[in-house]
Amino acid sequence: MPQLDTSTWFTTIMTMLPTLYLITQLKLLNTNHYQPPPTKNSNLQSHGIRWQPKWTKTCLPLSQPQQS
Amino acid sequence: MNENLFTPFSTPTILNQPATIPIILFPATLVLTSKHPINNRLATIQQNLIQLTLKQMMMTHNAKGQTWSLMLTSLITFIAMTNLLGLLPYSFTPTTQLSMNLAMAIPLWAGTVMVGLRFKTKNSLAHLLPQGTPTPLIPMLVVIETISLLIQPVALAVRLTANITAGHLLMHLIGNAALALSTANFSLTLLTSTLLTLLTILEIAVALIQAYVFTLLVSLYLHNNT
Repeated sequence: MPQLDTSTWFTTIMTMLPTLYLITQLKLLNTNHYQPPPTKNSNLQSHGIRWQPKWTKTCLPLSQPQQS
Repeated sequence: MNENLFTPFSTPTILNQPATIPIILFPATLVLTSKHPINNRLATIQQNLIQLTLKQMMMTHNAKGQTWSLMLTSLITFIAMTNLLGLLPYSFTPTTQLSMNLAMAIPLWAGTVMVGLRFKTKNSLAHLLPQGTPTPLIPMLVVIETISLLIQPVALAVRLTANITAGHLLMHLIGNAALALSTANFSLTLLTSTLLTLLTILEIAVALIQAYVFTLLVSLYLHNNT
């Protein structure tokens, strides 16, 4: 059976080792698995605006009776 | 007859140089790597398949076992590609070589055993004795379990070699028979050709399944030992 001819074993094994452990692994490492882009939350207020209660009082005069 | 039958499995040489080197290296070049977020169809299919097998395989492992995920993914990719390319006519399949399969199986199996012995010594040694054995049987069972442990890498290698070799051999034989029958009795040729088609479909399945089985067993040995 030609598979048992050990003269070629060294070449085969020495070629397989870098192919499997080096080349295939490097190729798989270099594939980027991108996540689908997350949808942007448009409700975020910019942090510069701080709501002043007097503005609420101005807009909704009946809902803030205790503030003057 | 014997020598003619087995000549596809001898390592090929071109002008007395070993041609196995480019043949073994070739399937690795078919793995597409691309930095773009959106690739063409082939690259996307390939990437999705690899991601799918990665998730399926590594789901059952804990964090320590998942450090092996790159190794196992590259193993299944390599074996599947090599087996599938070997189904082309007149091609050489490196996985029919016992040398290569032994060189794949022994280090991986030894790695899983050593991981188990190093980090969970008591647990991995306890695998040598099944639960609930009656006391007089214990020495014999330890010997039997040790032998079954030591035979795992050999079984892995020989299983892959024998399955792929047998499949290819069968296809050669039936193809030759169909060709010889075409001059003698044509209706039998149709029957034999149908058989050949079915066998080819089987071989495609076998190619993939063998890759899967190899990797699954290594993964199982890893699971037992982490």
